Amino acid sequence: MTEKEERTDDHKNRRKFIVTSTIGASAACALFPFASGLPSVLDPVTKKSGGAKVPWTKVTSLATLPEDGTPTKFEVILEKVTDAWTTYTNIPAGAVYLARNGNEVTAYNLKCPHLGCAIDYRANTNDYFCPCHNSTFGLDGSVTTENSPSPRGMDTMDTKVEEGIVWIRFQQFRPNIAEKIPLS
Amino acid sequence: MKAVIDWIDNRSGIRSLVKEALYEKVPGGARWRYVWGSCLTFVFFTQVVTGTLLWMFYSPSTQTAWESVYFLEYHVAGGWFLRGVHHYMAQAMIVLLVLHLMQVVIDGAYKAPRELNFWFGIMMLGVTLALSLTGYLLPWDQKGYWATAVATNLMAEVPIIGPAIQKIVVGGVEYGHHTLTRFFALHAGVLPASLVGLVVVHIYLFRKHGIHVKEPRPKRDSYFWPDQVLKDAVACLSVLLAVVTLTIYFHGAPLGPPADPSNEFPARPEWYFLFLFQLLKYVPAFWGAVIIPAFLVLWMFLQPFIGKTKAGHNFNVGFWWTLIAGSVALTALAMSEDQANLKHGAAIAEANWQAERVVEIATNEGIPTAGAVSLLRRDPENLGRRLFASHCSSCHRYNGHDGRGYPVDDPQSAADLAGFASAEWITELLNYDHYVSAKYFGGTKFKDGTMAKKVLAKYSEEERALLPKIAKLLADQAALPYESALNEEKKEELLGLFYNDDLKFEDGRACIECHDIDSEEEGYAPDLTGYGSREWLIAFIENPEDKRFYGKKNDRMPCYGRDSKLKSEEIQIVVDWIRSKPAQF
Repeated sequence: MTEKEERTDDHKNRRKFIVTSTIGASAACALFPFASGLPSVLDPVTKKSGGAKVPWTKVTSLATLPEDGTPTKFEVILEKVTDAWTTYTNIPAGAVYLARNGNEVTAYNLKCPHLGCAIDYRANTNDYFCPCHNSTFGLDGSVTTENSPSPRGMDTMDTKVEEGIVWIRFQQFRPNIAEKIPLS
Repeated sequence: MKAVIDWIDNRSGIRSLVKEALYEKVPGGARWRYVWGSCLTFVFFTQVVTGTLLWMFYSPSTQTAWESVYFLEYHVAGGWFLRGVHHYMAQAMIVLLVLHLMQVVIDGAYKAPRELNFWFGIMMLGVTLALSLTGYLLPWDQKGYWATAVATNLMAEVPIIGPAIQKIVVGGVEYGHHTLTRFFALHAGVLPASLVGLVVVHIYLFRKHGIHVKEPRPKRDSYFWPDQVLKDAVACLSVLLAVVTLTIYFHGAPLGPPADPSNEFPARPEWYFLFLFQLLKYVPAFWGAVIIPAFLVLWMFLQPFIGKTKAGHNFNVGFWWTLIAGSVALTALAMSEDQANLKHGAAIAEANWQAERVVEIATNEGIPTAGAVSLLRRDPENLGRRLFASHCSSCHRYNGHDGRGYPVDDPQSAADLAGFASAEWITELLNYDHYVSAKYFGGTKFKDGTMAKKVLAKYSEEERALLPKIAKLLADQAALPYESALNEEKKEELLGLFYNDDLKFEDGRACIECHDIDSEEEGYAPDLTGYGSREWLIAFIENPEDKRFYGKKNDRMPCYGRDSKLKSEEIQIVVDWIRSKPAQF
């Protein structure tokens, strides 16, 4: 290799080093602002949630429910609801249909398991009907139409009757899948 | 890859654009003195990105602004870091602006044909200061609230339209929801958008005239890429490193207690506005807010013309240095005055205490819809010290201060109530020297009373050795939350001492001769049954002139309950607060 060639080589190496470090430093500067906020933006997915026990909530008295099992709609008022920084007390968090069967009560979530629209009870056909995408459900909450948009029946939740008072454990479930998985 | 770039280049001409951007000629070679513009662009870019991310968490209203910032700071992963970077980057931006400006002034880069660009730079300085000002109100904490109140009051100094400008900016007469929505729209919308526009023009004009070369030229000409870009990037990385260091060192940006117009706070702006703050101590607001700034703006716009001659240029440079030196001096003065002011220090300590306290309550209990300020307003701990400060501390003290940590101007004329009725407190009280000292009854007429002169002063060595036991008995009556109760046997024994069953005290010096415990008889001196207990103290503060307490011998203690000076809930809060903690002897 001649001296001149060596010098050009040196020059080339130097330039390569400068270009690489420039690109590296610039990229670090450009990416840093995004990286600094990434953990915060991803917080909803990375935060461990769930595991908390769903509390029992008082809904109504058994006497208010028709004995023939006709569903009746009730607001569910939770004692304590936390939304980010705010803690609400006694606020409506959703609604349920309660259907009586002797001394037992079944609770159906008002939200359609398909995509979360509010389900109507139709007195004339004595069934449930979702006015968004026309899913229909029987009085026991099961899907009644073939090709129903809803992949599962209406969501039920735990209920108990104590001293004439109906209690439920109010919960929401993941929409549009066949299994009933609580949201957390 | 090449095919894709070719396709895009064919339709956009991206290659020649990049080439034009990167292969700008740098006469005299790359130099460190040229990095400031790029640094500022980088900092502004960081602010736009981190600001947008912060936007995802911020809720501008008087009941949610502080709360949403608190939530980000304490309950969102990495929230403190994101906010800290934005906070310290904003301060870096001010520093870099001054450096950039001084570089331009010293090098004479403001002169023809670059006048227009200099003016755009000055406008950008103004917008950046406005961004800072609007930014620090947004957390709606005490500092932001009180400091911005001063700033918006200054706006009203502008002749004729001032009051209208103030109302428009504040969104009404009082600070409220619309102050926050307006400041937020300014901070996250109007001002950054203006800055983007100004940056585009600034860079266009910069490119049009090329870099202003400072003679002599150290090297051969080179290109912007990669030599100057490397220097720029290294400078940006250094700024980044400094900001990250500050963020980690201080664990993010400070968040004071939630804004509360009824809770005084010494208004101080951020450090880069302190010179203005200090200036307003010497000149009328109209001068500080209108005349001086108007004169400075006029001079800045005339500067390129003044600088046409060598003398004019020297004048410009000198004037800038004077301005900077003056600002530094005023800032130092403002800081040292605050440092020397004990009350200021106490107020800051109090605000820090409130900030920690409200975070503690919010984390344990959550925040009600009325906002975090309501947590502090109804917190017995916070109310107790405030009530003590405003109603008791003109005579009494608490650990030597006013209950909140502030020193008190009036001389102490009644007992220090920190640790009131604890065994330690009573033991000290029963020592004659302490009894007549300012810490206890030195400021009252009781220092010359029977208890002092005829009892405590006369005790023999043996009698004095018994007094800590009496103190234990009395402290047991108080049932303080931080002291353990005596067992029955011990209590009986100590009561025997109190009643002087074994005649250990000489005649005229036994407690029972004047004070009662658990008896129906009326003593000559205050009844000590339940002394210092919640019930006893409430009844005492309600009416110290009751015959159960001082009766007619009361010195100057006001009857807070009888004369309706305090509501009964307030008396209970003060009592619970006094009884809650031992003294710091």
